[in-house]
This record gives sequence, structure tokens and C-alpha cells, in this order.
Amino acid sequence: MFIWNSCDVVVVDVRREVEEIVGARWVVEGEDAALFGFDAFTAVKGRPRLVALPADEEQTVRLIALLYRSCTPMVFRGSGTSLSGSTVALTGEEVVVSLTRLNRVYSCEGLEIEVGPGLANVLVTRHAPHDLFYAPDPSSYTVCSIGGNVSHDSGGIHVPKYGSTFNSVVKLRVALCDGSVEDVGGTPYFNGANIFVGSEGSLGAVLRATLRLHPRPETSRTVLGAFQDVASTARAVSAVYEEGVIPAAVEMMDRNSIDVVEKSRYKAGYPDCAALLLVECDGYTPQVEEEVRRVRLVFERLGGKVMVPENPAENSRLWLGRKGAFPAMGVVSPAYLTLDSIVPRTELASVLEEVGRIAERYGVMVANVFHAADGNLHPLIPYNPESPKSLENALRAGWEIVEASMKRGGVPSGEHGVGIEKARFMHQYYSQSELEVLWRIKRAFDPDRLLNPYKMLYENPPETGDRVVSLLYTKPWEAE
Amino acid sequence: MADLKLAQQLSLKCVHCGFCLEVCPTYRATRSEVHSPRGRIAAVVSGALTSSGIETCVYCRKCEEACPSGVEFGEIMSAARRPSLEQIMVHRILEDPLRLYNAARLAKMGLPLQVARRVAQITPEPTLPPEYSDPDPELILFAGCIAPVFFTSTVLRALGFLRQRYRVRLINACCGLAHYAEGERERALTVAQRLGDAAQGKPIVSLPSNCSSHMKAFRQLGVEVEVYDFPEFVELMRLPLPKKQLGLTVHEPCHARLAGLNRYVHSALERMGVQVVEMADPTLECGAGGGYIFEQPELSDEIMEAKKKEVAATGCDTVVSTNFACSLALMRMGFTPIHLADLL
Ligand SMILES: Cc1cc2nc3c(=O)[nH]c(=O)nc-3n(C[C@H](O)[C@H](O)[C@H](O)COP(=O)(O)OP(=O)(O)OC[C@H]3O[C@@H](n4cnc5c(N)ncnc54)[C@H](O)[C@@H]3O)c2cc1C
Ligand code: SF4
Ligand code: SF4
Repeated sequence: MFIWNSCDVVVVDVRREVEEIVGARWVVEGEDAALFGFDAFTAVKGRPRLVALPADEEQTVRLIALLYRSCTPMVFRGSGTSLSGSTVALTGEEVVVSLTRLNRVYSCEGLEIEVGPGLANVLVTRHAPHDLFYAPDPSSYTVCSIGGNVSHDSGGIHVPKYGSTFNSVVKLRVALCDGSVEDVGGTPYFNGANIFVGSEGSLGAVLRATLRLHPRPETSRTVLGAFQDVASTARAVSAVYEEGVIPAAVEMMDRNSIDVVEKSRYKAGYPDCAALLLVECDGYTPQVEEEVRRVRLVFERLGGKVMVPENPAENSRLWLGRKGAFPAMGVVSPAYLTLDSIVPRTELASVLEEVGRIAERYGVMVANVFHAADGNLHPLIPYNPESPKSLENALRAGWEIVEASMKRGGVPSGEHGVGIEKARFMHQYYSQSELEVLWRIKRAFDPDRLLNPYKMLYENPPETGDRVVSLLYTKPWEAE
Repeated sequence: MADLKLAQQLSLKCVHCGFCLEVCPTYRATRSEVHSPRGRIAAVVSGALTSSGIETCVYCRKCEEACPSGVEFGEIMSAARRPSLEQIMVHRILEDPLRLYNAARLAKMGLPLQVARRVAQITPEPTLPPEYSDPDPELILFAGCIAPVFFTSTVLRALGFLRQRYRVRLINACCGLAHYAEGERERALTVAQRLGDAAQGKPIVSLPSNCSSHMKAFRQLGVEVEVYDFPEFVELMRLPLPKKQLGLTVHEPCHARLAGLNRYVHSALERMGVQVVEMADPTLECGAGGGYIFEQPELSDEIMEAKKKEVAATGCDTVVSTNFACSLALMRMGFTPIHLADLL
């Protein structure tokens, strides 16, 4: 890799040159550009200066080089389902480079499949041999792209056994700001692909990903445990592991989230309880049967009521409720925030209690539905998008939840990315020297800080005049 | 303007999750938010109705099915759209099959208009729409607008089949779906009322399944009609069907699917002993829309390209399509579309 120190402003008419590369049909500007200015983080919308949709790797590489050379900030975009606002064009100067058209499957050999970044997650398994599957499955899997998954290190319910996207990336082809292309990864040392996983489009563009496939498990069974108090529910999560079970998934839902789901079209008929766990065991049939037996015993010992669905229809109904929990929030409010801090399993009960107190203090409703095995909270906080006060309360409640998690030895973000939503926590979570390491990496790839500016790492807050943006970028210790 | 307000109000339910993107035929063809449901909703919210995406929506309402938040996309689009003069002209032509017949003849003779050229390319030779009524009819056979002119033999077969048991009156007319989809809501209501009056309270058996689906929703417009899709009627009445030794695949029209009508086609074919080779996704859009196939040649061709691959993968040449606009698209792709009625 060789990267220039600084961009030279020789490009006179960026728009025209972009058009020359991608063709007029694939340039979007004016009001239409705003349609690429937001993602699933509902609190902030931007308006890119221009959007380009390159057709292939070659066009993408030329485009990035052109934009960098002309000092144009850029945002790479997949399906725009980021929950942390990582694709929002904050300043209006950005050109959005949409990678959705790079959606080819190049090859599939052994346990590896090589795909373009624009391919939807669900299509990876669909293109794999029947006895294999692609494990990372964010709830948004029908639409989110592999490029976005890699860039956010996305997880999903099967993280406990199969890991997040990080564990499934073998190699990456990346386009760097100087117009060079590198194939990184596939090595046990100096693994360049690792740096790109979770980099949120701030180091370069992912052009291709070689992903690891897993053999499809022979059997998969679900155990539901319904508990009368949150403490036992939280305790049961660790107890499952103590019994020697490595579950494929452990999801927890509290009373609020159960109530919301039962009011929605995702109604699952869950038992009346303070909180429930949905555990999935998969693998070789005799082993799965033994695991189900042990999970059942653990739940019963802790006072839980146990349900083991006997047929596929009942099984999908139980999971439908969990999987529909986010969208089901629509029955409460048309907008919601959801953070994704992680707490150690042993702290789950105490942090959930704290979440309750925080919710009360801000007068917001918080529904907890989350990946319990790795303590990856997902507090869903509905707000009224037409009331700035309601949004601010939701934001502040969310921040306090993240802080409460960090205080108990947790981390600010598990799987949704830092983006603009959690940029403020970088300074709080990392030490000065840790941040300096991150900046050194960033500068090596992006000396002029043109790649996804203000996301994750930033020096000074963006000046957009937007109240919510300035709130988001107020460092916690500077607030009040 | 009141309509735009309504559209904006309905749009507030959208949480930008993007779950609707990958089912949308125009998004799949372009991979661009401009032509995605989420992008269209954002354009409506900001009042940017000149966004090209508003025009390019096929109105298949696939997005509605995929949306976890219950956004009523069809209503939004219908309320937000302003029909162009060309669209209004097409609607008027569709309202009267005789007019459609004459217009198609003119197009075939080389009328120098872009739409006309496309019509000439896509449609088979037009035939004078047949007319028929038994005395004191007890049942209406509704043939729609396209079938009487371009699929006359299908209409006659359906008529012959129903007449074995019932006294039938044939109505060739428009259901108003194209109007509704393209924002001519008032006129869509007039068309619906006219049809309601013509039916005189008699049950309607409708041949084009997307029209069946639209007519089943007339109640929401305040018009009461009793409508059955042709295969639905055949199945509910358990009408005797001939056995057929055939291998074919089935296309599932978008609106028919919304109304849950496609299952009747499958059960009828099963009763006939027809061997169906399923497409990986039989609901994949065909690219026809209502007037879409004529008004948006570039995108509709791109959508057809994807559908063509899907159908070709089955190895079948014959495709059962219960909606005639879809049949036109399937013919353009080089397949042989047939209606269930053609097998009777
Ligand atoms: C309802 C809902 C449920 C969700 N559930 C989950 C879940 O269970 N688990 C989970 O982890 N996430 C979840 N998400 C979040 C989101 O779907 C993931 O973060 C997803 O990986 C984003 O993919 P995308 O294609 O939409 O990326 P985008 O939102 O388009 O982009 C995300 C980031 O990746 C960068 N990027 C995208 N493509 C490239 C590329 N080719 N090269 C370089 N950078 C790129 C962007 O710049 C941005 O920083 C959910 C979202 C929604 C709306
Ligand atoms: S109606 Fe069809 S074409 Fe229009 S946005 Fe929805 S899915 Fe796309
Ligand atoms: S699926 Fe529904 S809520 Fe999500 S973006 Fe599409 S219309 Fe909006």
C-alpha cells in the first residue's frame, strides 16, 4: 500500500467526471440525493451532494480515486439499514458511493463463498450448497448487505455458537483511497481483513468478501423458559453454560417487549411472565436432545415454566415474536432508538434494574429484547418523531443505559456500529493512547479524513446547525 | 392536496428499516433508493413528487407484504401520484374495450407515438371484443379490458364453460385498478360504481385475477359487489374439471397474491392432474403493471429479463397466468401464457 499524503485539487468538475465513470443514469442529485441521506437510525437525516452507483469493481476504484484526489468526502453505502447512522451524509458535502450494484456471487468452493458487497445477506446461503449455510444472521438479513455486515461486524441470534461476521470473514478485496486494490486476509498473521471488519467505511471500500460457510446442523430445537422475576431469568443464562451446553442462540425478552409483541401482528402467545428466554440448541440429534434436557432442568430449577415446541409451526411462532420485536414497536410509536451495549452476563440482572430506573427518570418506555448469551442489550426506546423533547429524552435515556453498562465492565457497542450514534462514547470508553492507535490506523488509510467523516472517530464535532446532531456530538462530560 | 396530506400521514409509519427493498422489482433492477419503496416514501414525505421514482413504481404492492410496520404503500402511492395526460388517455382507452381495439389497430398501423409503438411491439393482433348475454342472466363473467381484445379465445372458453351450468352475461370493462394505481382516484371510483350498477347485484366471476383482487376491495370505496376470481369460483363450486396430461409452471400475479387467490389456481390444476414445475419464486414480478409495460419500457424490460431467467430455470414453455397484463409480458419473454380457462 502506498498512499499520498494529501489530495490535490486538480479536478475541476467532480460531477462531470463522476458521470463519465458511472454513466448519467447512475448519478443521483438534487432532491433525489436526499433519498440516500438516511438509514434506519431515525433520529438524523442528511442530504448528500451527489450519489453515484458504480456498476462494478473497476468503476468503484476509479470513482474513489477521483473523489479522493479532488478532496471530496465520501460515504460508502450498502442497504442503508445501519442503526447507528453510519451512512448519513452529515455535512451535505459528501458523495454517497452506493455499492448495491456489486452484488455478484463469484465462486463457491469447499466451505468458502466469494461475493460482492452489495449482495443481501440472505442470498449468501441461497447460493451455497444445500448442506451448508452462512451463519451470521442479523434480523435484517433479508435486506442488509454483506458490505454493511462486514463494516459493522454485524451479529444476530446465532452469535453464541457461530460468532459475528468477524468470525466468518476469510478474505476481503478492498479499494483504497489512492485507487489501489488489495486482497487482504486469509493469513494467520498480519491479517489485514480484520482491520476492515467493523471499520464502518472509514478505511476504504469492501469490493469483495470471501466468507466461511458452516455445515447445516442435523437438528435444531427450541426451549422457552418463562420466569417470574428478571433476576432468575438472568441467572438462567449463565446456568445454561454451567451445564456444559453451548447453545446456538439465547434470546431474552422482558415484560414490556412481550406486551408489545403480543399487541402486534407478530403475536406469539407467550406465557404471562416477567421475562422469558428462548434457547436454541442445534447440531447432531443425540447431542441436541441431551442439551434440551439439560436446559429444561436448569430452567425448572430456577423456577421457570418450560415450553418445548413439538412441531415446526409452533417453533416458528415462538421465534416470530422475537424476530418481530423491533418492527412490532410500530404499534407503540412510529420511531424508536435502540442501543446495543454489552454487559458481562453476571451483571445482567443489575443493569436491567438500572434500565428500569433510567426509563422512569426520563418518562420513556423501554422494551428489552436482546442477545442474552453475550449480554448484548437492545433497549428499544420509542419516541414521538414530531416532538424534539421526546427524541431528546429517548437519546438521553439511551446514553445512560450505555454508561450504566460501561460502569459494570461492559462495552458501548456490540453489533450496530458506532456511527454517529455512539461516537460520543469513544472518548469515554477508550484511553487517550488507545484512541491514538485507532487514529494511526485511520491516518494510514485516510490521511485527509475524507472517508465517512465524523463517524466513529472525529476530532471536532460537525457543524450542521442541527440540534440533534450537536446533542449527539456533545461529549458526555461536557454536557451540562 | 388533501390526497398528498393523506399520503404523508400514512408515510409516518415508515421506520426506514429497508425490509421492503429486496422484494421491490424496480429496486432489484436498479439497486437505487430512488426506485425503492423506502425512497418513494421519503420523496412523498418531503413533497418531492417530481422524483422519477414516483413514476417508476409498478404498483405491485410487494413492499406492503414485506413491511413489518404495516405501511399501506398502495394507498400512499395512489394518493400521492398525479396522473399525466398520457396516463389519463390510456385510462380512458382501457375503460372501453372497443376503444382499446381501435387504438390497438391504429398502433399496429404505425401511429407515430412512443406509447403506440410499444403497444404495437407487445400486443398480439387485436380482435373485436365479443358480446354475449343469456336471457335473465344469473352470473356476470367479467373479462376486463385487455382479454376481450387480445385473448378473445380465452374469454369465449370461460364463457362456454360457465354456460354449461349458468345463465351468463359477459361484461367487457375496466375495473379501475390502473386509475387507482396512477392517482386518478375519483375516476377509479366512478368506474367502480359503473361496474357495480352494471352487475345489478349479481355475482361476478372475474377472469383477470389482479382485477378480481381490486374489485374485492371495492367495499373500501363504498361499492358493494360480490366477486370471485375465476379459479376461485371453479374451486368453491367444485365445478367438474377435465383431466390433463401437461407439464407447466405457474406465475403468481402480484395483486392476486395479496388477496390470497393464487392457491385456487394450484388446487384446480391439482384436480386436473396437471404437473406443475414450481419456479423458485413464482411471485417474482413480471414487469407488466397496468399501463406500466407501455409507459416505462426500459424498466419493465429489465424486470422482464429477471422474470425470464426465473421461468426459464423451470424448463417449461407453458406458463399459467391468470392475469392478462402478465400474459402480455410473458409472451414478450418468449413463453406461452395460458389462463386456467384455456384448459377447459
Ligand atoms: C430492523 C432491523 C434489525 C436489525 N437487526 C440487527 C441484528 O440483529 N444484528 C445486527 O448486528 N444488526 C442489525 N441491524 C443493523 C443493520 O442491519 C446492520 O448493521 C447491517 O450490517 C447493515 O448493513 P447495510 O447493508 O444496511 O449497511 P449500511 O447501513 O448501508 O452501511 C453500514 C456501514 O457500513 C459501511 N459500508 C457499507 N457497505 C460498505 C462497503 N462495501 N465498503 C465499505 N463500507 C461499507 C457504511 O459506510 C456504514 O458505515 C438491524 C437493522 C434493522 C433496521
Ligand atoms: S409497489 Fe411494487 S414497485 Fe412499487 S415500491 Fe412497492 S414493491 Fe416497488
Ligand atoms: S419495510 Fe415498511 S417501515 Fe421498513 S422501510 Fe419499507 S415501508 Fe418503511
